Amino acid sequence: MDSNKKYWKGLEELNNTPEFVEKNRHEFAEPIPIEEVLSGGGLSAKTPRRDFLKALGFGVGAVTLAACQKVPVHKSIPYLIKPEEVTPGVANYYTSTFEGNAILVKTREGRPIKVEGNPNDLLSKGGLSAQAQASVLDLYDNTRVQDPMMDGSTTGWAQVDAFVKSELAAVAAAGKTISIVSATKSSPSTQAVIADFITKYPTAKHVTYDAVSYTGIIKANQNSFGKAVLPHYNFDKADVIVSFGADFLGTWISGEEFTRQYVSNRNGKSLEEKKMSRHIQFESGMSMTGTNADARIAIKPSEEGPALVNLYNAISGTTLPGSKKLTTPNADKVITLVAKELVAAKGRALVVCGSNDVATQVLVNAINSLLGSYGTTIDLDNPSRQYAGNDSDIVDFIAAAKRGDVGAAIFLDANPAYDYHSADAVKEALKKVRLKVSFSDHADETATLCNVVAPNHHYLESWGDDSVIEGYYTVMQPAINPVYNTRQAETSLLIWSDNAVKDYYTYVRNNWNTKLLAIGGLSGQAGWETLLQTGFVKAAPKTAGTYSFNLDLNAVAQTILSQSAKLAEGVSVDGKKFELQVYQNNAMRDGKRANNPWLQELPDPVSKVTWDNFVAMSATDVKKLGLDEFGVVKVTANGYTVELPVLSQPGQAQGTISIAVGYGRTAAGKVGNNVGKNAYPFYSFRNGTFQTTAQAALEVTGDVFPLSQTQTHHSYEGRNVIRETSFAEYKKNPASGKHEEGEHKKYDLWENTNNDRIHARPVYDWVMAIDLNACTGCGACVVACSAENNVPVVGKEEVGRRREMHWIRIDRYYSFNNDSVHGGVTKEKEIDKLDNYDNVTVVHQPMLCQHCDHAPCETVCPVLATVHSSEGLNQMAYNRCVGTRYCANNCPYKVRRFNWFNYWNDSRFDNYLNNEHTQLVLNPDVTTRFRGVMEKCSMCVQRIQAGKLKAKMEKRPLQDGEIKMACQQTCSANAIIFGNRNDKNSEVYKALQSERTYYVLEELNVQPGIGYQVKVRNTGTETTLA
Amino acid sequence: MRNISLILKQFSRSVLLVAGLAVCGFNAHAQADAAKGEALFKAKCTACHKIDVRMTGPALGPQLTQETDDAYLTKWIQNNQALIAAKNPKALKIYNEFNQAGMTVFSELSDADVGNIITYVRTEWKKMQDEKAKAPAGGSAAAEDQGPSSVIIWGLLGVIVIAFIVILVLNKVIATLERLLLNKGGVALIEESEDDEAAKAKANRAEVFKKLIKNKKLVFFVVLCGTIALGSWQWVTMWNTNVHQGYQPVQPIKYSHELHAGAMKIECQYCHVAAFKGKNASIPSLNICMNCHKSVKTESPEIHKIYDALGYDPNTAKYDSTKAKPIQWVRIHNLPDLAYFNHSQHVKVGGIKCQTCHGQVQEMKEVYQYSPLTMKWCIQCHRRTEVNGKGNAYYDSILAAHDKIKKGEKVTAAVLGGIECAKCHY
Repeated sequence: MDSNKKYWKGLEELNNTPEFVEKNRHEFAEPIPIEEVLSGGGLSAKTPRRDFLKALGFGVGAVTLAACQKVPVHKSIPYLIKPEEVTPGVANYYTSTFEGNAILVKTREGRPIKVEGNPNDLLSKGGLSAQAQASVLDLYDNTRVQDPMMDGSTTGWAQVDAFVKSELAAVAAAGKTISIVSATKSSPSTQAVIADFITKYPTAKHVTYDAVSYTGIIKANQNSFGKAVLPHYNFDKADVIVSFGADFLGTWISGEEFTRQYVSNRNGKSLEEKKMSRHIQFESGMSMTGTNADARIAIKPSEEGPALVNLYNAISGTTLPGSKKLTTPNADKVITLVAKELVAAKGRALVVCGSNDVATQVLVNAINSLLGSYGTTIDLDNPSRQYAGNDSDIVDFIAAAKRGDVGAAIFLDANPAYDYHSADAVKEALKKVRLKVSFSDHADETATLCNVVAPNHHYLESWGDDSVIEGYYTVMQPAINPVYNTRQAETSLLIWSDNAVKDYYTYVRNNWNTKLLAIGGLSGQAGWETLLQTGFVKAAPKTAGTYSFNLDLNAVAQTILSQSAKLAEGVSVDGKKFELQVYQNNAMRDGKRANNPWLQELPDPVSKVTWDNFVAMSATDVKKLGLDEFGVVKVTANGYTVELPVLSQPGQAQGTISIAVGYGRTAAGKVGNNVGKNAYPFYSFRNGTFQTTAQAALEVTGDVFPLSQTQTHHSYEGRNVIRETSFAEYKKNPASGKHEEGEHKKYDLWENTNNDRIHARPVYDWVMAIDLNACTGCGACVVACSAENNVPVVGKEEVGRRREMHWIRIDRYYSFNNDSVHGGVTKEKEIDKLDNYDNVTVVHQPMLCQHCDHAPCETVCPVLATVHSSEGLNQMAYNRCVGTRYCANNCPYKVRRFNWFNYWNDSRFDNYLNNEHTQLVLNPDVTTRFRGVMEKCSMCVQRIQAGKLKAKMEKRPLQDGEIKMACQQTCSANAIIFGNRNDKNSEVYKALQSERTYYVLEELNVQPGIGYQVKVRNTGTETTLA
Repeated sequence: MRNISLILKQFSRSVLLVAGLAVCGFNAHAQADAAKGEALFKAKCTACHKIDVRMTGPALGPQLTQETDDAYLTKWIQNNQALIAAKNPKALKIYNEFNQAGMTVFSELSDADVGNIITYVRTEWKKMQDEKAKAPAGGSAAAEDQGPSSVIIWGLLGVIVIAFIVILVLNKVIATLERLLLNKGGVALIEESEDDEAAKAKANRAEVFKKLIKNKKLVFFVVLCGTIALGSWQWVTMWNTNVHQGYQPVQPIKYSHELHAGAMKIECQYCHVAAFKGKNASIPSLNICMNCHKSVKTESPEIHKIYDALGYDPNTAKYDSTKAKPIQWVRIHNLPDLAYFNHSQHVKVGGIKCQTCHGQVQEMKEVYQYSPLTMKWCIQCHRRTEVNGKGNAYYDSILAAHDKIKKGEKVTAAVLGGIECAKCHY
């Protein structure tokens, strides 16, 4: 591939704006104001020299006096009666489940400190999302509701029970409806509890309400095949994947599972077999899935429908009435080419669409049916239960409440006062409801409208189960006693419905004993204990049947096309009218976890923005509107207006804007409150479902609201660190993407390396291999690393000062899709006529300390705080560090982080660990770093040491794969492999032997310990799509 | 008459003899039984029972005295499980009373053995009861028995004090008398002359001192010495900042390692269970203390501190967790947070004796910090200690690899990277 291809992280880097150049001249964005103090200004300065000397004198005196005091007495408090399974200092693992994924909870002395995937999990085989990794921090959130509340004041459970029961009886006697409004509850036991509740109160109704809903797909399947289910998709069986706005690697239905499936056709193993799937993405905003696509075509939301119609036409050879050409240049040609590829891969093809519109999904069903996807890539017989919400139910509920027909409303994991498109309607409706109960663990937007808040346990304090895929049942067990005076929602429902069983644990046990244990061939007490060990039972999957679509599509096409026409009507950049697409981003999702600082600080995979949402807009449109960077605009749609800063997003379709939901919480807690703006009101209820598109009018305010965007914080000064090739080239020459940067003379810092005891690696040489072709950029590793290594959260302002502390970051590089060999959409390269910014490709590169054998940081440390180990690790001794920061300056990879504050104990960082309770989440095996010291990836040395010790105690050699890095463990794509390079049979050794392996900045001869594998893009051949 | 008296004497003698023999014989018989019973009781029963106090099982004295059905008792002792299984009401009652904690089955005991035990317990209990019955009569005596001891002590103390005062007074008197005698003999003159000489000497000394002060070399020398002395004192003090070797805080319970580990020879890890498993050696939880102290030294006020902490009532053998409050020991060995230390690595893998770092704990009444716990101390040991790799397959390839590099040299912990930063600091 063309070696001159330019990679850039942001437009400021591409255009080399003066601010960017200035900021990158220095290692640290803001210098210490030392000159101000020492300069002639002296006394007139903020801190005059005399004051400084006075302070110094006083300080020395005070410290001397303080030092005279005896050391504080440390108390040691042993257990009174030690639980048999607890050994102080040794971690215990318990199986549980997070959103249907089987997980392992790591506890130390009885408190959960980390969540790991269960390696046998059916969905992601041990991988976990950033949300799951971050969920452990929510347990220690001290803004949770700590006692049951009635009418805003704390009360006891007995009072709550008495009140709710009498009220429910009164409501039932009056014949009014009792509505249980909940998010999708895939747990069989919870479903049974709700069913029992409804038996007791026949006027009760269960309203399943998902803030981000998949009703469109469910209704379409009902319509097309008579099965109202969310199908189970098999991306691993698909050779050609075409997605219309479905972010299936991130936020769509089951991101972690789909990532595992998707990558299995694109990772090193698959490539060695000369197999690679092909992925084409049509979307308006740049999604994480779009960044991974082999070909990505930016289309407007209004063109999604017509594009699907045209695709159907091209595949079926018929023409649906009303079909017309697309306005995006070349789009029609692209559709024809895509259709050809799909047809060629019949039975191994998959078309997915992110729309929640029933008609659109019916059309997608028709296409998939033509492609023979049912029974292969789409499984309707082992459906997914992740989302079962029916949008019209909540609309009906609100209408009924407004009429006064609802006597009681019970909210379980549902927060419509925030995430319903018309919060005012919810507020108004709830005024007419006599009894309002919320099970929320926070006094959230809905809970503050309720008479009763009956706080639910955190899931790590709960018993329960889940079943997100037909035949797969996971068990949830508590890993800690309830921290606060909370009670599990199911227990409350059992008590309020006078169930014979009042204790939810017994209820779950009964449910498993009678129904579920048998599925796994288990029974009785022994069976239950086995279940708690394995974490799940699994029935043999049913055979996926083939389904064919036999309905008339004329009406469907009509609906789709007229909707599209409506959306597109009158849209023009000059008229400041845009098509608006509301989406979920990968960190915040639907906003339920907005109070989690780890997620707030996780940079978005695409925009790299933290702590905010924004209006994503094409750079061309930004220029047309004459906006500054982060210029604020007023966006008005559906009668709702917000002011948000604009971000130039390469790849965004022109004439469109995208805004993420999940922000703008007002009652999430001290972390999540007032971060960004709420975009849910841009939703609308059309054709029986919630739709995410709208027409928006923009107004430039002239203000600027800086976003904390990490994308260009760590500069390589233009050095090329990405290697990329195409699948076609790869097949010809597996080493094709590597293009050496010329021969370099190799020097060695250390003489006599082989015999020198210090610099030899006689036993272990810990290294890592990262496959750029597997990494999707999701960022789960970043959160996992923060959890494992006590990496502090610094907050929006400090991120803005380039002081984020993440030990691992994911660099996202854009490049123009204009290389000379395979440029353009077709061989005519008509794509060049498109504006460049809309047609970019993206590579994600996880970047962490490279543990260089010739580490530049080590040689400049004046106090030897960072030195090399005989196992190839670049060690960092915090207590030796005096904070000169020379090492960070000298690191070519920019992976060293400086502690500007005591983030874990400083009132300015109130949104993180600044209280004793939240500090319990810290990993006791890793030191919390003090202000003024440098830190960086330690290659989870605590895990290496623990792994070695385990082997020593068991008197056996250390096995490959036994020690896993936190980042590696959570990666559903298995993009990261860690191990001992000296072991020729190790996974990492084999991975590094791959022809694709290259080392970043190899030419500097720093001899990094982390090998990267060239990104391979399955760009088409000359007759297909680029 | 004399005859009669003789006969009477003889008769009474023989009667006494016979009676005595009879009594002796009876006693001998009873003793034989009880002695056997005592041996058996001590061997089989004392783990769970005492005669007068309830322990794991009931207090046997009252229990066996109240229950007169020996056949039932024999059955119960030989195989209580069978009785429970047969739903014997008496058996069930006691079984439930003791939280359904089954008693050990003693099928090896013959009927006679059981009989002996029962006899022993009953006689022993009776003795105790009798002593108790006597107690009120001899109460005052007993009290006096106790009383005099302190009275005597106080008395003795008083005598000593008085004697001391007498000696002092006599001394004073003697001194006064002597002075009187001397005054009469005109010794005052001598005293005067002595005063004069002293004044002269004083003047002399002052002059010498003045001279010395004016000697700059000497002054310099003294100042130099002072500076060096102070400097080195400061140097040493600063080096030892936060080094608390010998730190011996007062603990909430007077626990003696000398008694437990020394005299009783209890293994260290019987209590410090985690030392061989993980990072912390762990201070034993109180349930470990209770393994023994449920029955050993139950009267000691120190042991009662354990009971109080657990909310344990020795009379009912019940725990009340609401009254429980943990014991706050004072930590003796304080390693800073920035240093990671793992006991199991050293004790289990390295095979290092606890005493190497903690000193002869089995001789310490109260434990103190034996080692300095400085980094220098750690590293010194890592440099000197050979790796204990024999019989541990983990080390096979490692030691082989190191042999290749440095043949014949001792493979110490340091050679395997044991003094690298990230072995302890992360």
